[in-house]
Amino acid sequence: MRLEFLVRRALLLLPVAFVIAVLVLPLGFMVVVSFWKRSLLKMVPAFEVSNYINFLTGTRLSVLGRSFLVSIEATTICLLIAYPIAYYLARHARPSAARLVMLLFTIPFLVNYVIRAFSWTYLLGRTGPLNKSLIEIGIVSGPVDWLLYSDFAVLVGMISSYMPFMVFPLWISLAGIDDRLVEASSMLGARPWTTFLHVTLPLSIPGVFAAIIFAFVGCFGESAIPIILGGVGYQLIGNEITSTLDVLNYPLAAAMSSVVTAAMLALLAVWYMAFDLRSFLGKILSWRMQ
Amino acid sequence: MTWRPWLVWSAIGAVLALLYLPLAPPFLFSLLPETPAEPAPTLRWYVEMWRNPVLTGAVVTSMEAAVIVALATPLFALVAAISIRELKVPRLILGLMLLPLLVPGVSMGIAAAFFFKQIGIAPSLGTIVIVQILWALPFALLVVLTAMSTFDPVLTEAAHMSGAGRWRAFRDIELPLIWPGVSGAATFSFILSFNETIRTALVQGPLNTVQTYIWSTYKQIGLSPTLYALMTLLILLTVGLSGIAVTIRRV
Repeated sequence: MRLEFLVRRALLLLPVAFVIAVLVLPLGFMVVVSFWKRSLLKMVPAFEVSNYINFLTGTRLSVLGRSFLVSIEATTICLLIAYPIAYYLARHARPSAARLVMLLFTIPFLVNYVIRAFSWTYLLGRTGPLNKSLIEIGIVSGPVDWLLYSDFAVLVGMISSYMPFMVFPLWISLAGIDDRLVEASSMLGARPWTTFLHVTLPLSIPGVFAAIIFAFVGCFGESAIPIILGGVGYQLIGNEITSTLDVLNYPLAAAMSSVVTAAMLALLAVWYMAFDLRSFLGKILSWRMQ
Repeated sequence: MTWRPWLVWSAIGAVLALLYLPLAPPFLFSLLPETPAEPAPTLRWYVEMWRNPVLTGAVVTSMEAAVIVALATPLFALVAAISIRELKVPRLILGLMLLPLLVPGVSMGIAAAFFFKQIGIAPSLGTIVIVQILWALPFALLVVLTAMSTFDPVLTEAAHMSGAGRWRAFRDIELPLIWPGVSGAATFSFILSFNETIRTALVQGPLNTVQTYIWSTYKQIGLSPTLYALMTLLILLTVGLSGIAVTIRRV
């Protein structure tokens, strides 16, 4: 009986052990490597902060700053698009219609965003359909150059990559709100807009935060979109890291990657402390509460 | 707030149209001939691409990886979901399982690559599979958890009262009822594996998957009609598989 219990425990803990072994430990090791020295093509164990100094004093710091800015812009726009959609689907649309629409959001999300980014280079290009139709309508006289290889193009790429999936956490938290709370608010005389601001919105914050973290992490660590849509010389921290890898400076790449990961984990920690995951996933985890 | 349904639906439709728009251009470019003199449109690239051994090798690797990921990930997700339900620390386990979603792809790839190198695991199909399972796991877990939430625990109690042990009650009662969730998680994992670039590229070593083949060819020589043909097939596969998965779940 005792043995059976132990075997059962061990089996149940297998996925946890897997994530610790191939994600948590490697991330820890990456932080260790970030203090190592680079010697020709190899990494040598050491305790040096020069990688961090190198990272945080040079031009790379401005790349970090720009990454923050672009990610905040992209995440904000994503949220402004995804929240109203999730709100309508969760609170006003028929459940069958909501399911269908969410499915339609899933499919383009599943197609590799690298491929979709290649498509945007055509759609936004000088001779692309967007420029052609702008000229045809007569809004502009010549092709608009800032559509491609610009902040704008990078934002378009990021938004189309990460916005579709944001609808889900938002929908989960909005659909989980007890209807009686909304009814009570309106019975007590609150206008719909007031009810939204004081009841629905606060109750959906765990989902909003989950959606924000998902999109922000994706955009902040993004390494393919700046290369494809930003054009030559467009640096965000993600492709800065991969180009540091290309010149084989592994400790520096590890240091940059550690800073990025630490920033993301800090966000995650705030979310984890501020909200109960079970309240966010309330519907999904309802059997836990019984 | 008064919602005008037609207005809201057309806004949602417009957003969806913008999301689906990028799925079309690869097909258009895959039909272009090599020189303007040749007849257009042509389907020759769909035939010629299979003569490239690097590409066919990449297709094989992608297929192998995707099948293993699709088999292993739902199993992990299922066990993880049960451990969330039965162990005393559901919050901690759930947080840990969702972590791969919240670590930037580059960082995940670099960390795994350094770690494998340090402990002496050479890049191989195995390392590709490990990283892809890690990436697919949070998605698979959410799908399985959603399915499990619709299961009524009273049924398990009934099974116990009828004399079934824990395993028997799970296998004969709960598993068949949540099976659509498990198979959905498998499809999801397959698709995620097939569409992953950045994490895979950092741990693949000498191998290539279809996606990393497209990425490295783009970086070295640029895009070609052959690559567009390949992308078109990948888009069709992804959309087709999603469609099939949904139809099966509806039935």
